[in-house]
Amino acid sequence: MPKYDIVVVGAGNAGMSAALQCQLMGMKTLLIEKHNLPGGAATSFVRGRFEVDPSLHELCDYGPADNPGDLRNMMDKYGVKAEFIEVEDCFRCVSTYRDGSPMDVTMPNGIEAFIDKMEEYVPGSREKMQQLFDLFQEVLDGIAYITASRGNPDPKILGTTYANMLKTGAYSTQEVFDGLELPEKCQDILSTYWSYLGVDMEHLAFIHYAAMVHKYTSRGAYILKHTSHELATAMVERFRELGGDVWFNCRAEEFLFKGDHCCGVRTNLGDIDCNYVLANINPDIIYGRMMPKELVPEREKKLSAARGRKIGGRMYTAYFCLDCTAEELGIHDYTIFLPGTAYSPTEYENIMKGMEYNNFSIFNCYNIANPDFSPPGTCVCAFTTFGSPVDWDDLKQEDYFRFKEAGVDKLLKNLKEKLGIDLSGHIEEIEIGSPWTFARYLGVPEGGVYGYEARDWDGMMARMQMIGYDYPIKGLRPIGAAGPRSDGYTASMICGQLMALNALLDLKKWKEEGGKA
Amino acid sequence: MAALNIKIGPDPRLDMAKFANMAKVREETIQATPAKEVSGVFPINENAKALHPDFLELVIDEVIDRGCAEAKTFVLRRPDGAPLPYFRAGQYLSLKLPLDGSFVTRSYSLCNSPKEALEGRYVITVRANPGGFVADRLLAELKPGDKILSSSPQGFFYYEKLRDAKQVIGLAGGSGITPFLSLASAIRDGIEDFDLTLLFGSRTEDNILFREELDAIAAECPRFKVFHVLSEEKKDGFESGFITADMIRKYAPEGKEYSVYLCGPEAMYRFLKPEIAALNLPERLFRRKLIDVTKTPWECEGYPQEEKGKTYQITVRQGPQECVIPASADEPVLVAIERAGIKAPSRCRAGECGWCRSRLLEGTVFIPQENEMRRWADVHFGYIHPCCSFPTGDLVLEVPGEFF
Repeated sequence: MPKYDIVVVGAGNAGMSAALQCQLMGMKTLLIEKHNLPGGAATSFVRGRFEVDPSLHELCDYGPADNPGDLRNMMDKYGVKAEFIEVEDCFRCVSTYRDGSPMDVTMPNGIEAFIDKMEEYVPGSREKMQQLFDLFQEVLDGIAYITASRGNPDPKILGTTYANMLKTGAYSTQEVFDGLELPEKCQDILSTYWSYLGVDMEHLAFIHYAAMVHKYTSRGAYILKHTSHELATAMVERFRELGGDVWFNCRAEEFLFKGDHCCGVRTNLGDIDCNYVLANINPDIIYGRMMPKELVPEREKKLSAARGRKIGGRMYTAYFCLDCTAEELGIHDYTIFLPGTAYSPTEYENIMKGMEYNNFSIFNCYNIANPDFSPPGTCVCAFTTFGSPVDWDDLKQEDYFRFKEAGVDKLLKNLKEKLGIDLSGHIEEIEIGSPWTFARYLGVPEGGVYGYEARDWDGMMARMQMIGYDYPIKGLRPIGAAGPRSDGYTASMICGQLMALNALLDLKKWKEEGGKA
Repeated sequence: MAALNIKIGPDPRLDMAKFANMAKVREETIQATPAKEVSGVFPINENAKALHPDFLELVIDEVIDRGCAEAKTFVLRRPDGAPLPYFRAGQYLSLKLPLDGSFVTRSYSLCNSPKEALEGRYVITVRANPGGFVADRLLAELKPGDKILSSSPQGFFYYEKLRDAKQVIGLAGGSGITPFLSLASAIRDGIEDFDLTLLFGSRTEDNILFREELDAIAAECPRFKVFHVLSEEKKDGFESGFITADMIRKYAPEGKEYSVYLCGPEAMYRFLKPEIAALNLPERLFRRKLIDVTKTPWECEGYPQEEKGKTYQITVRQGPQECVIPASADEPVLVAIERAGIKAPSRCRAGECGWCRSRLLEGTVFIPQENEMRRWADVHFGYIHPCCSFPTGDLVLEVPGEFF
């Protein structure tokens, strides 16, 4: 039986990062992936003469060489080489303000430019916006400080240097906006980003929101030059170069235990012996169908029940490869958010009521950020919205193809009505990704790529503070979007790295204790 | 930054305590919830699995001899007769066949209406292919009751109303009729919503596959029409010769946009290439079902002629296993893998689906330009599709696992 120090199950963003970290630290590491490609959602597919990225809109934490973000630093540390391209604007949002008036705003990158633009749209907002961005900065610094202190920050320093973070850090974004007395229109424009985290502003932890928006505005957004598959493959190849093994089309069926200690993985390619497993799999699936029921601790059953299967971000997407240029179609923006209303709690509610009520979508045109994205004279666009269990849980197979087409038809009509952009008559290739599609390829519950909703008591910071408490299975740690850093490309990679480091500490400790290692 | 004058909670002095208590509040929330057995079963995931299983175990329920058309139709069911995954008319099954110690895959278009999947019935038709490794064996050997392993329905040769014109001209040759029979049935059954005019090339009138079936659908359903084109006979009521641009124009709707769908043997593709080009259709209006990679790679542009007839060794790694197998430069790498009895994934055998994607660690291969459909990073980092890569030296190859 093959034997490894560590087996990483699932070559999604978290899994690839974890595998690289383990291998860098000298562990004999095996990365297995149930699909024949790495990356999970960070992948690509080919249709005709086009290659399409199915998931990446923009990376918030790469940054320029002179102001590197976590992602750039991590890739440098791992020695992963891929080509990134900066996205010019932050976003355009076409919607309706809470007061019923129409919204059409285009926000630039760069904190100053962002605040200036906001002042144009909402005169008199400058001072409050400046306060907000100062607060974002303090939150970011505070998170970095807490992380650096390995969860043991000095209360004195927290109370003095990071007092504003402590004051606001336990509240929802909406509560902080209200506390700051941000003008309502400002709030509506700032709400645009809620969909990247999948939790409306009343339930989304301010600290989480602050960190993300600050990263986008201060460091700019990036995409890969050759789709996410470039990054995924670059990570896998670097892992190989460092001595790691990768097996594709290898699916973990169950985890093997000696006593209460995970010591292996059963797969379609046979059993694998190891000292530790990092599983890029949702914990409910691990506990529910991949390990002996009697080894699941009571507290974990409570945690699962408390989360009540609130799954975030059931993706519903459509990709269009078009036989004309973006210019010819009148597309000038990389990302256009098209929510029915800028008021996120209502928007969230409508999405959950199903496609009939869902008016939310994000429209991307890759060629705006990367003119070479597709062959000359063509362009690639994509819609992203969310699915609801109302539509997708009980849908019959024989109705599936038509249903997913009808939803996309609605998105196309919406695009035409709101922006005058008409794709019909130019579609050379089309692919639709429903929650079923994401469930099929990623194995994530309900096709939700955001893990559990990071809302209220189960927000990102609260999870971060409880890393040692959740999932206390010896030799088996879940990683990924359901983990402490919540969802997102970079967040998942950080989660993978963090959990790999924790696994290595565990192994070291057991070795010192003379136990299994 | 300076202290913010911000009031959120009822008592600002409690804000910090609230922050410090986040973990505690979370733990209390968890502890206050009654424990429940964790279920790893989610409806959407079950739906996805039912529609796209790893593989299907099927039984041959019925064999229908097509006589002069030199083909047999196989009706397939699950052993328990349960419903089969629904499909889009035009899709194919990739059969996984153990033959003489090999595992080979072959794709056959489903030729029945998708609604029959719900009744647990798939239908495929295999035509004689003298000199081929698989088709004639299947025709000679398969009988009712035999078990057969298959993929779920695959492929992109289906009608997409957001892309295609409402009027479709189908061009079929020989056994390439099978996906069109399915498309026509789906139109008749109200599953697909477009008009199909089919130009079907056969050698002789006797040799026409599915003639009665096609006529029956056309009689019942005015949205489907079929015209026969005979290459070796001149007869009244039939077109003769080969399908040409002029013939397509003759049957195409006047003044209206139309899509052209093509499925037929390799020779037909070669013949029709300039004819289709003469129609000046935008690419979006021309769809073709991909055909197997060429059997004569040395006729491809860029082929290193000195390779023809050579043999090489391939070191194949799959998970923890490794073995060394012989390979002919005249055959795709996948064929060498199959001959060696290795269960490695493949489906379309044309470079399109990417299911056989493997890492080429050492060595070089020749890939015909028409089968080059790899992702950018796969080309860049040395991944190949063995189904359409011909070895031009000894190789070390890492192939993915299989699930059966």
